[in-house]
Amino acid sequence: MTTDYLKSVAESNQWWALGPEIMLACAALGLLVMEIILPKKDRRFIPYAAMVAQAMVLLTVIFNFQTTWLGENLFGGLIKLSPWGQVARVFFLVSSLLVSFLGTICLPRTKLPRVEFYHIVMVVTAAMMLLVHSNHFVMFFVALETVTIGFYILVSYFRDNALTLEAGLKYLVLGALSSAIMLFGIVLLYGAVGKVSVNGITHTGFEFETLNNFLRHHPDNFLAIAGALLLVGGVAFKIGAFPFQIWIPDVYQGAPTPITAFLAVSSKAAGFAVLLTLVNQVFTPLAGVLVPVLSVLAAATIIMGNLAALTQRNTKRLMGLSGISHAGYLLIGVVASFTVPWATSAVWFYLGTYLLASMAVFGVMTYLTGPDDTNQTLDHYEHLAKQHPFLGGVLAVGVGSLAGIPPLAGFMGKLLLFIVAFQAELYPLLAIAIGGVVLSIYYYFGWIKSAYFEAWRPAATATTAAPQSAITTPSLSGKLILGLLALATLLLGCYPGPLSDWLPF
Amino acid sequence: MIIDLPHYLLLSAVLFVLGFFGVLLRKNTLVIYMCLELMLIAATIALAAFSHFNDTLDGNVFVFFILTIAAAEVAVGLAIIVALFRQRGTVQVEALNHLRH
Repeated sequence: MTTDYLKSVAESNQWWALGPEIMLACAALGLLVMEIILPKKDRRFIPYAAMVAQAMVLLTVIFNFQTTWLGENLFGGLIKLSPWGQVARVFFLVSSLLVSFLGTICLPRTKLPRVEFYHIVMVVTAAMMLLVHSNHFVMFFVALETVTIGFYILVSYFRDNALTLEAGLKYLVLGALSSAIMLFGIVLLYGAVGKVSVNGITHTGFEFETLNNFLRHHPDNFLAIAGALLLVGGVAFKIGAFPFQIWIPDVYQGAPTPITAFLAVSSKAAGFAVLLTLVNQVFTPLAGVLVPVLSVLAAATIIMGNLAALTQRNTKRLMGLSGISHAGYLLIGVVASFTVPWATSAVWFYLGTYLLASMAVFGVMTYLTGPDDTNQTLDHYEHLAKQHPFLGGVLAVGVGSLAGIPPLAGFMGKLLLFIVAFQAELYPLLAIAIGGVVLSIYYYFGWIKSAYFEAWRPAATATTAAPQSAITTPSLSGKLILGLLALATLLLGCYPGPLSDWLPF
Repeated sequence: MIIDLPHYLLLSAVLFVLGFFGVLLRKNTLVIYMCLELMLIAATIALAAFSHFNDTLDGNVFVFFILTIAAAEVAVGLAIIVALFRQRGTVQVEALNHLRH
């Protein structure tokens, strides 16, 4: 241990590299301060302040996309900025901006405090941005737990609703279980690697590079393989892959609709970003073990998700179960990334189209729910297209994109993933995925059908009309945002160039 | 008898498995929550043992992070359990089945 080494570690503390995260966290704290110092009548502007702050951080990231620190080990190896991390930052910021927008629709219906919602959404987003940049398991675990604990609070945010609390408790128990499993995996990896001395400097298995080096020389170390499998199992919980998908329908149904969107989009994307980092940078020598495991997971996830969604009539559960099948398609991309390098690009393209389509659908869902957020079935969508043609149109575009109908973005996303799977020669998985897409068209079109066509009722029960939902008429800005999401979905399906060129491969 | 690394790992593995099955099988939410903490403690024991026998300090430092995180998790978790108890009057797992299709 020399002074030169200490000096180089000290010089690697580049705080500006974490500028977006720090700005976001400070803005989040600023919201709480604003709530204290502002007079009561001005507090309704705080959500808009939160959205402006997030938009500014987003612009900062976009304008500094090619930062000087790309690929360097910062903070003594805790953080490593990568082009994919930058993409993830933009993704999480766009998503949290839209979640905040959904919050401005949903929260005024309740009497609960509002500022904390935006505060926690921003803190969780900052933690996700740190998570995808982490290059060290301590950083990884702390960032991941910040995300998870934030989500415990957000999922049970409507604390006057027993169903929401039940969902919160289920998420809490299963989330903590997956964190403990993941932690045990990290510990086993740390124990397997032991002490590695390079030029008199000690490295441990917490560092991604050291672990990768160790695995390259000992690819059949039992402790390390067990640790890697436990770790992947923990991540599989976050993305809702097969044996760990049981929490999804209940939690999605009980959580406030904006948070369901946040879970479906950001949490899933964070899981996939982490999985891609682990698979492509750390566990590459374990391909022999991980490829079969992940392939089976992907196949089972697609089949489970689609079959369970077929008979579902509650729309939030439907989004959750169909989201499981989307996680399955994305897992195919992860498996393919062992052999086809541009698979990462395809996965992010798919996540991008999923963001646009899901947020459009969740936007419509947020406008449709009444005071009880947890009960929204397909019956509530009857007459939607006639009474609110705009919302009906956005819903059709969003759901169509999720189903993968050709002129929409979801089709391009699925096409790219399937091309990747074809190049990686994953033919059985490809067949299962195509079967899954065909199945998914059935339940997605059931949803569109209930919005556009009137259900026939026998005359005897005509008096018991369809359950009426309290539709909030969208404001101009709401229409603008939903319209932009639908338009982007449509345009990306016709001209995928802008997004696919922007992705760094 | 000399207590060596395998003994610590055995203890940790036993605690981890106990915690895991406790989460799956117990019926009271508070007991389930204790079992979750047991799993974290199991990981912590393994971490401290590895850290000692591998002669690296990183593991010991990580223990402090885990303790902090576990404390935050308990704070949030107990709050949710208390709020649920106020709404439902019970925290037994069998009663928590109202979220269905």
